[in-house]
Amino acid sequence: MTEILVLAEHRRGEFRDVTFEMLTKGRELSQKIDADLTAVLLGHNVKEFAKKLADHAKKVLTVDDARLEDFNAEAYQKVLSHLISERKPLLTLIGHTSFGVDLAPSLATELNVPLATDCINVDFEEKKPIVVRQVYGGKVNVKASLHTSESYIVTLRPATFEVQEVEPLGGEIIEIPSPLKEDIPYKKFVEYYEPPAGEVDITAANILVSVGRGIKDTENMPIVEKLAGALGGALACSRPIVDKGWLPSDRQVGTSGKTVKPKLYLAVGISGAFQHVSGMKNSDLIIAINKDSKAPIFRAADYGVVEDLFKVVPTLTNKILEEKKSSS
Amino acid sequence: MDTIVCVKHVPETAEAEIAVDSSGKGIKTEDLVFDINEWDDYAIEEAVLMKEKLGGSVTVITMGPEDADKTLRKCLAKGADKAIRLTDKAFERSDAYATAKILHKAIKDLPFNLILTGTQASDDGYAQVGVILAELLGIPHATMVKKIESKEEFVRVNRELEGGLEQVMEVKLPAMLAVQTGINEPRYVSIMGIRKAREKELKVLGLGDLGLKEEEVGESGSWITMEEMFIPPVEKEAEILTGGPDEIAAKIVETLKARGLV
Amino acid sequence: MEFELTEEQMDIKNAAREFAEKEFTSELGRKYDENYEFPWELYRKAAKLGFIGGDLPEEYGGQRLGCIESCLVNEEFNRVDSTCASLLSGVGFAALIPKFGTEEQKKKYIPRICKGEIVCGMALTEPNHGSDAGMVGLDTTAVKDGDEWVINGAKTFITCGAEAEFIMVCCQTDPKAQPPYRGVTMIIVEKGTPGFDTNSLKPKMGWRGAPQAELSFDNVRVPLSNLLGQENRGFHQIMSYFDFSRIPIAAGAVGIAQGAFERALKYSTQREQFFQPIANFQITQWKIAEMATKTETARLLVHKAAWLIENKPDKLRLITRHAAMAKAYAARVAKEVTDEALQIHSGVGYVDSDIERFYRDARINDIIEGTGEIQRYIVAREFYREIGFSI
Repeated sequence: MTEILVLAEHRRGEFRDVTFEMLTKGRELSQKIDADLTAVLLGHNVKEFAKKLADHAKKVLTVDDARLEDFNAEAYQKVLSHLISERKPLLTLIGHTSFGVDLAPSLATELNVPLATDCINVDFEEKKPIVVRQVYGGKVNVKASLHTSESYIVTLRPATFEVQEVEPLGGEIIEIPSPLKEDIPYKKFVEYYEPPAGEVDITAANILVSVGRGIKDTENMPIVEKLAGALGGALACSRPIVDKGWLPSDRQVGTSGKTVKPKLYLAVGISGAFQHVSGMKNSDLIIAINKDSKAPIFRAADYGVVEDLFKVVPTLTNKILEEKKSSS
Repeated sequence: MDTIVCVKHVPETAEAEIAVDSSGKGIKTEDLVFDINEWDDYAIEEAVLMKEKLGGSVTVITMGPEDADKTLRKCLAKGADKAIRLTDKAFERSDAYATAKILHKAIKDLPFNLILTGTQASDDGYAQVGVILAELLGIPHATMVKKIESKEEFVRVNRELEGGLEQVMEVKLPAMLAVQTGINEPRYVSIMGIRKAREKELKVLGLGDLGLKEEEVGESGSWITMEEMFIPPVEKEAEILTGGPDEIAAKIVETLKARGLV
Repeated sequence: MEFELTEEQMDIKNAAREFAEKEFTSELGRKYDENYEFPWELYRKAAKLGFIGGDLPEEYGGQRLGCIESCLVNEEFNRVDSTCASLLSGVGFAALIPKFGTEEQKKKYIPRICKGEIVCGMALTEPNHGSDAGMVGLDTTAVKDGDEWVINGAKTFITCGAEAEFIMVCCQTDPKAQPPYRGVTMIIVEKGTPGFDTNSLKPKMGWRGAPQAELSFDNVRVPLSNLLGQENRGFHQIMSYFDFSRIPIAAGAVGIAQGAFERALKYSTQREQFFQPIANFQITQWKIAEMATKTETARLLVHKAAWLIENKPDKLRLITRHAAMAKAYAARVAKEVTDEALQIHSGVGYVDSDIERFYRDARINDIIEGTGEIQRYIVAREFYREIGFSI
């Protein structure tokens, strides 16, 4: 029987959303090509945990080993290459996450199995996967085929496939003895590091003013701070602002930062790469101010202002303050 | 610490108009400015910082046409000691796998403790080459690296996870690390650096020099084949507020008022 | 015939562009403009990267850049922001020191300039003498008294006069000399010397990142060793140097034109009138074509003049002529192109924009280091001289 494997991603006792997104996509594909959908769960003391996956897959394979407790690409690769060599699934789905990026390319190389990464869609034509990927920062899409092989690996972009509520599949949980024989010699997991929490929790704010590269200089930050102050909201930002050290990392919105869902998200000087957009696209109201009319942020926003932020933002701040004054 | 840094010469597209070319498999590049891939700029900086602190050497390597020398010279000007460019007609249309195989042949006999790359390239965004290269060389790797502490036998790195969380790993040397943006502050090219770069070696190697066969590289040596390139359909477009700053501000305030946000 | 930059020149151009694009902002330019402030912070950053005093000798910390390279840096900086680019204005005459100075003077000043610690100035123009300084003589005098020079007089429009650590002052030392320029001597006066005072000139139309000052000398005493070059050869020293310094100034003017052009080009695609971008109107297209052609022509002339300095150093007459043509033409083009760019932006350009600053900043290029009139006189003089006619 043809099989599609989905590698469950979890951390510190919780599944990552991408797991269920992949299972949703995997189920759709398995129906199309008449394949079995199998979830793979690597970890330690995960028996109970595995039950949650059983609703979403025909089979759940678990490998229980202390060395798999925290993600370590070396250990994961050993187990998965063993599983894939034995089972020869037609397709293995892995999340294009920090884990997947560390794992999939070396796994594919070891197995000599074609790999396509960061896909926003995957389909089959004659049992051969066809993928859609984004290039040039999301400005262009590419449709690509994988070279003919017995088995394929595809990594899927997180927050791209909507999880659908479906009939539980009541999958069978199968424990596989750990194939890890000796120690993991090259890589060691040491600890998680969480930057100290700042004063502001942007995930709890109703109103967020979020600032990006367009602010140009740390000396200009008061312009957006004042706007956030006038609105009674918090100040968030996109990645470049944290990279430059102008705001602490707990203010960053996006895949490598926080996911937020405020009542108002006001994006100032943010171009809107998918990494950023996936962290804020579910906000109730999105207003974007950017000089570049072609900036992708305007595809996520409800309202857009194509103008120099240095002209609009101070005026807007004053208007809001006036409005608050007159209404109080 | 002897470090090899793999870099890529890419078009700057963040603020540029992009159009698909007549082949349907590439973009029009004539009006685009090419420069070092943003992630790789952090990688070369990290390598030079390590050299300044620990001694050793930095070799920078790229695969690309002659124009890519611009990026190599930039790296030399920033402090790399040697540069290698891999180029051949047969290398065209190589995907991440074929590219990594080409790099592997060039690197396997060079002495090194560390290989650095950017986590991904801003053009094709595979985020694969470094990791495949590590696997081909039989050395361990870590990606999305935000901090590197060098010990005698290993490096301690912080890998970026999600939501601000990081994962601290120890990776035995020699190793390949793919760095994330923000790991350091890349320096500017100085006139002094440009002057020094002129004295440094820039070697060009082709298919034959690397002992590769044509079928091992290019499209035939790749995992994936591009079928088609297209501008994604617009699914949603913001309503654009127009007018002078005053008018725009007034319109925004009206919208916020209507939703009880001010 | 070769129209390409060398790889190294290309790298220098790119390095200057990258530095300027990341460090110069409209907001900074506006700040320096409003406050009449020399961009010290940018100056220090640029010095660290070798952009300051690039043409100074390596043994004192310079990069010994050629004239073409200096032009590339000047053009790129001005293209990004004409006010921020005035960071280059504090060292325009520093090269007089290695050219004419003593070993002691070189060691004392040049390394500090290359490190970005100090700026310097040169004072020729006086309230009553500018273009005619050589023909009529200077009112500022210096006389020897024991082992000191005693200087009296006033200078004006001196770039970075108040910021400069030292000023190379042109003084009349032989009032009887005929023509009077044979009696002009350059003497170094350091900041803080008793009797030496500066007063900043405000308001000023533009180029405010390069603050200008009037200087007064009231029995200012400096050691005889402050003589720069030869006694009574000061005017000749300056004039021979102008041929070299005018070319990068002209390149700066090309940069301003280029920057204004690029902004106008982009704006014309965004600004809509009569339900379409103004770029669709022939009148706009015609303007754009003219601006681009003029700018490119000026650039070619500047590059040719710089190329002559590098490759035909003994053809002094040819260099003089080309330097004057390049300076006169580039200054005119900068005025015309910023004017047209402002017209394309119209109201939006007139208030609170880069363009109005570029427009004001561009204007100085037709005045400093020899007015447009003087440049044209030089060009005409050289041609008449060739056919044996004295004007």
